[in-house]
Amino acid sequence: MTRRLARCGLGLLALLAAGGGSVHTVQAQDAAAALRAGDYDAAIAVLTRQARQEPRSAPAHRTLARTLAEVGRYADAEAAVRSFQAASPRSPELFNTLGEVLAARGRNTEAEAAFRKAIAGAAADALTAEVNLATLRLARGERDEAMKGFRRLIQAYNHSGSLSSEQLAAVARACWALGADDPQLFKDALKAFDEAIAKDPDNMDARVGLVELFLEKYNRTDAATTAREALEQSPSHPRALLAMARVLDADGAPGMMETLGRSLKMNPALEPARVFLAEARLDQEDYEAAAHESEQVLAANPASLPALSTLAAARHLQGDQARYEDARQRALALNPRNAELYNRLAEISARNRLYRQGADFAQQAVALDPRSWRGLGILGLNQLRLGAIEEGRKSLEASFAGDPYNVWIKNTLDLLDTFPKYRETKTAHFRILLHGKEADLLAPYAAELAEDAYARLSARYGYRPDGLVRVEVYPDHADFSVRTVGLAGLAGLGACFGPVLAIDSPSAREVGQFNWGSTLWHEIAHTFTLGLTGNRVPRWFTEGISVHEEHRARPGWGDDVTVEFLRALRSGELLPLADLNRGFVRPKGPEQVAISYYQASLVVEWIESQRGFPAVVSLLKAYGEGRSTAQAFESVLGTTLEDFDKAFFAHLEQRFAGPLAAIRPAMKVALPGQGPARTSPADVEARAKADAGDFDAQLAAGLALFHAGKRAEALPYLEHAQALFPEYAGRDSPHFYLAAIDKDQGRPGDAVKELQQLTAITDSHYQAQLELARLLEDQGDLAGAAASLDRALFISPFEPAVHERLAALSARLGDRAGLVRARRSLVALDPVDRPEALYQLALALVEAGDAAAARREVLHALEIAPRFQRAQELLLRLHDARAGSANP
Amino acid sequence: MKRAARRALMLVIVLAAWAVPAGAEQSHLLIVVGLGGEPKYTDAFHELALKMIQAAEKKMGVAASNITYLGEKAADPAVPVYKGRSSRENVQKALGTLAQTAGPGDLVFILLIGHGGAQGGESRFNLPGPDMTAADFAPLLAALSGRQVVFVNTASASGDFVKALSAKGRTIVTATKSAMERNQTEFPSYFVQAFSEDGADADKDQRVSVLEAFTYARREVERFYEKGHLLLTEHAILDDNGDGVGSAVPDPAVGDGRVARTLFLGGGNENAADDAASGTADPRVADLRRQRRALEQEIAALKVRKDAMPPAEYEEELEKLLVELARRDAALRQREGAR
Repeated sequence: MTRRLARCGLGLLALLAAGGGSVHTVQAQDAAAALRAGDYDAAIAVLTRQARQEPRSAPAHRTLARTLAEVGRYADAEAAVRSFQAASPRSPELFNTLGEVLAARGRNTEAEAAFRKAIAGAAADALTAEVNLATLRLARGERDEAMKGFRRLIQAYNHSGSLSSEQLAAVARACWALGADDPQLFKDALKAFDEAIAKDPDNMDARVGLVELFLEKYNRTDAATTAREALEQSPSHPRALLAMARVLDADGAPGMMETLGRSLKMNPALEPARVFLAEARLDQEDYEAAAHESEQVLAANPASLPALSTLAAARHLQGDQARYEDARQRALALNPRNAELYNRLAEISARNRLYRQGADFAQQAVALDPRSWRGLGILGLNQLRLGAIEEGRKSLEASFAGDPYNVWIKNTLDLLDTFPKYRETKTAHFRILLHGKEADLLAPYAAELAEDAYARLSARYGYRPDGLVRVEVYPDHADFSVRTVGLAGLAGLGACFGPVLAIDSPSAREVGQFNWGSTLWHEIAHTFTLGLTGNRVPRWFTEGISVHEEHRARPGWGDDVTVEFLRALRSGELLPLADLNRGFVRPKGPEQVAISYYQASLVVEWIESQRGFPAVVSLLKAYGEGRSTAQAFESVLGTTLEDFDKAFFAHLEQRFAGPLAAIRPAMKVALPGQGPARTSPADVEARAKADAGDFDAQLAAGLALFHAGKRAEALPYLEHAQALFPEYAGRDSPHFYLAAIDKDQGRPGDAVKELQQLTAITDSHYQAQLELARLLEDQGDLAGAAASLDRALFISPFEPAVHERLAALSARLGDRAGLVRARRSLVALDPVDRPEALYQLALALVEAGDAAAARREVLHALEIAPRFQRAQELLLRLHDARAGSANP
Repeated sequence: MKRAARRALMLVIVLAAWAVPAGAEQSHLLIVVGLGGEPKYTDAFHELALKMIQAAEKKMGVAASNITYLGEKAADPAVPVYKGRSSRENVQKALGTLAQTAGPGDLVFILLIGHGGAQGGESRFNLPGPDMTAADFAPLLAALSGRQVVFVNTASASGDFVKALSAKGRTIVTATKSAMERNQTEFPSYFVQAFSEDGADADKDQRVSVLEAFTYARREVERFYEKGHLLLTEHAILDDNGDGVGSAVPDPAVGDGRVARTLFLGGGNENAADDAASGTADPRVADLRRQRRALEQEIAALKVRKDAMPPAEYEEELEKLLVELARRDAALRQREGAR
C-alpha cells in the first residue's frame, strides 16, 4: 500500500516512507491526480480535508504545506505546519518544512533554527534539513561549515542501505555544491537526481534540480529534455515551468515570457521566477522595470541575494552609482564573501554588451572566491571578447580545471585550440584572422573592405576605436557560434563585442545565403557605435545603425522590405520603440528578428532624413552618457517615444502605401505542388485573376507558369507583381524571372535593367550578379561586368571561373591591379594546375610593373614544374632584364 | 660538422628518392566496366570508358590494338576496342592475354569502373554474373610480373584491394580507403578527366603521370564534396611501394608516389627517354639531357633543404638552378628542332 501511495503526489513516497503516517490512499491519489492535471486548488482542498481528518499525521501536513508553498501561499503553509505542531508538540517532523516555508520569505534566522530542530530531532526529512541548512550557510558566506554539512549527506548516502527519493534529491544537491571542490561530484549529483526520479517519478524537486544542473553546465539539450519530462509529469508545476522558461531563454526560443508568465500565474510569489523576470527586463534593456521587479522581490524577502544582485545590476546599467552601491552593500552585508553577486553582475553586464565591466566584476568574484570556477569562466569569456586571447585562455583553463563539465567553457577551449590554424593579416586598423585554408583568398578582400568601412565610418561618426580591431572569420558556422554564445546553433552571421568581431566566412554557408561583405561592414559599424557609447547603445539602435550603414555602403546591401514586414506593419504588430529591443532578445519567432532589424534601420534612416545625421550621433552620445531611450529622444529630438512612434508609423504607412495595398493578410498562396492541398497551376492562375491587386497571387501565378515552361504566359503576372511591389527583393523576385524572359525574347537591354534593379535591392543573389555581368559584357560594358563580378565575390569568392572572368575583363580594361588581384585569387584557390596559375600571376605582375614580385611567382611556378616552358621563358626574360639593369 | 653530415645524408636520401625505376616500353590499357544496375549508371560508366579510350588513343598515343574494353553488353560495334561482356571469365581471359602479349617493362594499365561492395569481409567489384574479389585478381596480376602494372579500382568499397594486390612493380589505386566506404564514388569521373582534359599536368611536362592523375582526382573529389557542403565519404589511396598500405597524399620523397610519378599511359617515361638519348647520334643532345637531369636532381635536393635555409638564399639558389635549367631546355629544344 505504501508503495502504491508512494508513486502519487508531490514527493509523497519520501514523506510516507519517512513519516510512516496513514494518509488515506484514495485522498492521496485524488490529490496526486489533481496535481498531474495542474489543478492545485483541487489538490489543496483534498489535502486540507485529509490534514483535518488526521491532525497528527506529519506526512499529510507536510504534503499540504509544501503544496501550499508551491503556489505561493506561504502563510497558509506555515499555518498548516503550526497546526500539526500544535497537535504534536514533541514531533520534530515538520520543522524542515517550516524552515523551507520561512526561508522562502527571507526569514532565514527562524528557518535556520527550524532546520536545526529537524536535524536534532532526527526527523524523517533530516537529510533534507541538513542540505537546506548548509545551503543557507553557504549563502551567508560560511563556506567551511556549509561544506561540512553537505559532506554529511555524502556520508549518509554511503552508509545508508536505501534512501528515499527525497533523500536522494538532497544528496544530489549536496554533491552539486561539493562539486566546487571536487568536480567529479557533479557526476554524482546527476546520478543521485536520476536515482531520485527513478524511485519517485513525481519527485518534482529532483526533476527541477536536474534541469537546473544541466542549465548551469550549459547542457541545453539534456536540460530541455528533462524540463519537458518534468512538465509531462506535472504540467502546472511553477518551478518546472520556470525551468522550462530558462531552457527556452538559453535556446533563444520563442515562448519564454509566456512560460514564465504561466509559472508566475501559478505562484505569483515564486522568488526565482520574479528574479528571472527582472533579468529578462534587463535583457530587454528596460532597467527601471528590472529594478522595480527586484525591489518587489526584496519587499517580500529582504535577504534575497539574487534579487539584490539583479537590483545592483539594474542600477549599474542605469549608471546610477549611488543606488548600485547601496544594493551592492546590502548584498555584501548578507554575505561578505558573495562571489555570486559579482558573477551575476558580470554575466548581466556581458549580456548587455558591457564586456569590460563584465571582466572587472568577474575579477572581483574570483578575488573573493578563488574557487569560483564560474567567475573564472565568465572572466575568461569576457577577456576573449575584449581580444585578450592569452589571458582569456588562462582563465578558462583554470575554470575548466575546477569544473570540467561546463560545456560553454569546454567548447571555447576546443575552439581556442584551433586558433593556430588561423593566420593573421594586419592592416592599418585591423587584425584579421582567417583560417589558413582560405586566408590567401579572403585576406585581400576583407582587408580592403574593412579599411574602407573604417575610413567612412570614422569620418562619419567622428570616432576612431582604440587600437586595432580584431576580426575573426570562421569557415565553420559552429565555431562562430561557439565564439559567440559558447554552443552551436546560433542563427546569426556575425557578432561584435566592440574591439573584437566575429563573422561567418563565405564558406560557412551555402552560396546565396548571405553576403559576407555586408556582414563584415555591419559588424564594423557596431564597433563604432559601441565604442562611441562605451557599449551603452541599446540593441535596437546599434542594429538599426549597422543595417542603415550597410544600405549606405554598397547598392543592395542590408536588409530589405519583406512581405512579412508589411504584414506586421498593417496588422499593427511592429513593436513600438520602447519595446523594440524585445524584437531582438525575446522575439516571437525568427521572423520578428528580421522584421525588427529592418524596422530599426528605418528608424535610423528616418531620423537622419528628418533631423540630419548629427542627430544620430547626438543620440549615441546621449546613450553614452547613460540616458534611456526616452530620455535621449526627449533631449536630442525633443519628442516622447509615443509621439515618435505615431509619426514614424504614419511615415511607414505612407512610404509603403503601394505594396501595403497589394499584401493580403490571409494565407500565403502556395505554389503548385506545394502545401498539403496540392494546388494546380490553373488554381494559382485563377486566384491571380480573381484578385489582380494581390501581390502574392500574381507572383505565384507568374512563377507557376514560368516553371511550367510557359514563359510568355508568365510575363504579365510577373510584371504585375513587380508593379505592385517594386522593392520586393526575395529570392523569388519577379525581376530575376523577367530578366530570363527578356533574354529569351531577345531583349538583353531589358534583362540588364531587371537585373540591375534586383541587385540594387538585394545583396546575396549570386546568379543575378553573374548573369548581369554576362549580359553587360555582351553589351560591351566591361567595367559594369567587372563591377558585377566584384559584387558577386562578396557572396561567394570560391568559384575559379568568376576570377578567370574578372582577370580577362581586367586585362581588357587595362586594370592592372584588378588583374593581379584576380590572378592572386586564382592561386589562392589552390588549383591543381598551380604552376599555370602562378605563371599567369607572374605575367600580371609584369604587366603591373612589379618585376620583383613576378620573379618570385615564376620561381614558385618552376619550383613545382621545372620544365614548364613558358615559365622558363619568362624567368629568363626577367633574369636577363635584371642582369641587364645591374650591368648596363 | 654535424650540420654538414646531416646535409650530405639528406642529399643521399633525396637522390635515392628521385632515382627512377625501369621505364615502361609500351602501354596496354584494359578497361572493365561493371554492372551499372540502373540505366543512369550504365550510361555514365560507359561514357567514362569511352572518354578514357579516346584520351588514351588521341592524347597519349596508345595503339588501339593495345586497348581492351569489356562492358555490360555482349558487343558494341560502335566501339572498335570493345571486346565483349565484362564477365569474370572474360576479365580472366583478357588479363591472361596481356600476360602473353605485354613485353617486359611494358605498362599494363587496368581500370575498373563500376559499383563495388563488401560481402563476407571481402571487397568485391560487381560484374555481370559472378563478382570478382581482390583475391580473384591476385593470380591474374601475378602472371604480369616483369611489367609495370597500374591497377585502378574506382568503385565504392574498393579500399581493401590495396592490401590484397600490393606488390613491387605494381601501382594500386582505389577510390576509397576501405571496404566500409560504400557510397557511390565521384572519383572515377575525375580520374578519367585527369587524362581526358587539361589541368592535371601539375609539373607542366605535357604529360599526366599516374600520380598526377591520382592527385588531381583526389583534390577534385574533395572540392566536389566541399562545394556541396557534404561529408567526404570517399578517400582515395595509392600504393606503389609494395607495402600494402595506401597513401591518401603520396609523397615520392618518403614513400608512395615514387613509381607512380614516373608512369605515363602511352608515354614511357621521360628519364628513360633521357637514358635512351644518351646513346643518341648527337652527342650535344645527349650532353644537354644529362645536364638537365643533373640540374633537376640539384633542384630536388635544394627543395629538401628549403626549410633550413633563409628564404632569400633559397630563392637565389633556386633561381640560379632554374635559369641554368631553362637555358639547357632552350638549347635542347633548339637542337632537337634543328634535327
